[in-house]
Amino acid sequence: MTDAGANWLDILLTFTRLGLISFGGANLAEIERVLVGQRQWITPGTLASGFALGQIMPGPNMLAMTHYGFAAGGWAGAAAATLGFYGPTALLSAAAALAWRRLLGWKWLPTIRSALLPFGGGVLLAGVLVLARGSVQSVAGAVIAAAAFALLTRTRVNPALVVIGAAALGALIGL
Amino acid sequence: MPTHADLLRVFAGVAMVGIGGGLPAHMRRAALGRAWMTELDFAETYTLAQLTPGPNAVNLAAMIGARLRGWPGALWAVVGVLTPGLIAMLAVTVVTLGLPGGLPAPLQSALRGAACAALAVMLTAALPVLRVVGGLRGGWPLALATFAGIGLLRLDLLPVLAVVLGAGLILHRPRPQEQP
Repeated sequence: MTDAGANWLDILLTFTRLGLISFGGANLAEIERVLVGQRQWITPGTLASGFALGQIMPGPNMLAMTHYGFAAGGWAGAAAATLGFYGPTALLSAAAALAWRRLLGWKWLPTIRSALLPFGGGVLLAGVLVLARGSVQSVAGAVIAAAAFALLTRTRVNPALVVIGAAALGALIGL
Repeated sequence: MPTHADLLRVFAGVAMVGIGGGLPAHMRRAALGRAWMTELDFAETYTLAQLTPGPNAVNLAAMIGARLRGWPGALWAVVGVLTPGLIAMLAVTVVTLGLPGGLPAPLQSALRGAACAALAVMLTAALPVLRVVGGLRGGWPLALATFAGIGLLRLDLLPVLAVVLGAGLILHRPRPQEQP
């Protein structure tokens, strides 16, 4: 957020790399390492609040990347981040879909799936840890997170409603 | 067969009903309900979407679009699924990041509360993946090694990926007797 003049090409390439190395979901640990640590384009607070905003937006919940791009370089940064994060991976997916008949019969396909899944699981867990560091800064925050988790696992309530409810609660108690 | 405009419209609709997640289920309903795909087509496409890098829901949109209308189909499906959220996210972003004096205190508190709930959402998204991982040979040790390397030691991702993926490929390599 501090450097509003980051080069758009730099943003494009950085977010392209972040897109290509996320499997099965958000690779938040790597996103934090690069955007907060290495580049210092966003703060840990922006990381957490952008991710939260992504949960209440229509569509894919990693729209937070657009938020981070805007923080790094304004409108051009938002465009570069969106194009970089979604473009190349969508192209790869389309290419894979067009070659699908050959890919699905390939004997290494189940092998690759079984090899990628533990990596994806570990990446997701690391993301939980990184997000917890950025978002839970008080006992009240921990209670809200635990209550949200209980609601999400025990009921069928829409996750967006839980996030909005937690926002209202946060504003009410001055979290 | 859908036209490009159909793809744009249907995927934008999927994004709007998919607030809070569950996009693949909405895409399945949209594609099967219009007889664009069979259940088997969708299952195959969904499996492939898990294997390509990047956000799964966008990958799935690109794949369905590509199967129906080739490269332009993929483009229109992706533009459709991203557009509603992009407009909403940019509007909120300009307000939250663009205010000269920063956000008013109640809004900051609201965002902190939302972030705590988003943490819970992230954890619930990780659980099904971890259940599948638990059923794989070497699944837990490799997942924990990844977690330790990336989350605790903050190592660079690519070496961790190389080691964990390499070990997984060796563990799960196709065996001659398993071939049909």
